[in-house]
Amino acid sequence: MSAGLLLNTTICFAIAIICLTFAAVITRNKSLWNDRTKPSLRALISLWSLVAITYLFTAFRMIAAYANNTELDMSVYYVAAIPFAFISVPLAYILMYILTGNKQTSRFIGLIFSIFGLAYLMLLFSQGVMEPRVSYWSSLITVNSDIAINIYLTGLFILPTAMILGIMTLIFLRKVSKKQLYHTTLLLVSISFVIDFMLVDMITNIDVMQLAARIFVLIGSILAYLSYFPPLTLQERLGIEEKHYEPYDEMDEFDPEVDVNA
Amino acid sequence: MPDKINLDFEKKVAEFYQSLGINQGPGDIQYRIILLVLKKNEGEITEFAEIRKYTDKVADRGSIGSKMKTVFQFEGLAEKVQRGGYVITDKGLIAANFIKETSVFYKRTKKMQTMLERLP
Repeated sequence: MSAGLLLNTTICFAIAIICLTFAAVITRNKSLWNDRTKPSLRALISLWSLVAITYLFTAFRMIAAYANNTELDMSVYYVAAIPFAFISVPLAYILMYILTGNKQTSRFIGLIFSIFGLAYLMLLFSQGVMEPRVSYWSSLITVNSDIAINIYLTGLFILPTAMILGIMTLIFLRKVSKKQLYHTTLLLVSISFVIDFMLVDMITNIDVMQLAARIFVLIGSILAYLSYFPPLTLQERLGIEEKHYEPYDEMDEFDPEVDVNA
Repeated sequence: MPDKINLDFEKKVAEFYQSLGINQGPGDIQYRIILLVLKKNEGEITEFAEIRKYTDKVADRGSIGSKMKTVFQFEGLAEKVQRGGYVITDKGLIAANFIKETSVFYKRTKKMQTMLERLP
């Protein structure tokens, strides 16, 4: 019916594919895994998988809207709400684990955030949603419950963003290597980008704003990928490329066949 | 500065500084402990026996006696006021505060290192 909805569908699919690929690449990249990073990497994989599943269903929603199938649009919205409600769980776990290093505390915080998610879902399913408003660019669904919106505002936006800002401040205050600074900052910024714009995506009533938020989620997921695997050009520009130097043998200086000034 | 001297912690801090190539001052476990014991008894006489109570686990009596003479008395960080009795000077207090700062730096650096290691 409209090219805008098709563009929206494509963006949602792109987010899902990038996030799934990212999760798969992290899983397979053994060099990243050690005893200290294992818990946070597992949580990170869950986080990106949840983002991917949410946007995969959202893409189906957009197709349903494109096909003018209101019932399917609403049903898929409810399905997409399930992974979305629990996105903050692995995120809170990662941030707490980075800060404290205590797996039990991190699990406990994760549990609290799952309660947030469950409360949101219960309210969403009990209060229901308004019928979708399909426009040229998007299909907008409004949640009937203000409390549900407040719950995910607190659970998904305020607390995790405050934790991300706290970690970033700590890193900026201490001198760390350029490479570490690049990786940490870009990863945290990308996570923040994704969750904040997912929130905008879910609560907005303006179709163009929803599309713009999805573009930013897409950018955020690309940035997350780049934080782990920066292209060579970017590495050279930032001065973070890995250089392999051969160890210098001082005995060469006394070898008449080797010109040390060469 | 806490009154209790944690020998294991001081050892770790000294080893950390040694690993950075700083073998004297903050990287010298004997220097750290002697200063901390002197600072603990600020304004009072510190018995050599009390210093040895801590240093015996990391060094022999001779090297501590020699350090007291060649570093602490020679540089004016402590004054010998009686047989086997020392008092920390103002200069010694500056050195003790510096040692305290090095412990804070060690803690901060280690905390940040472990935090970055936990990053996914």
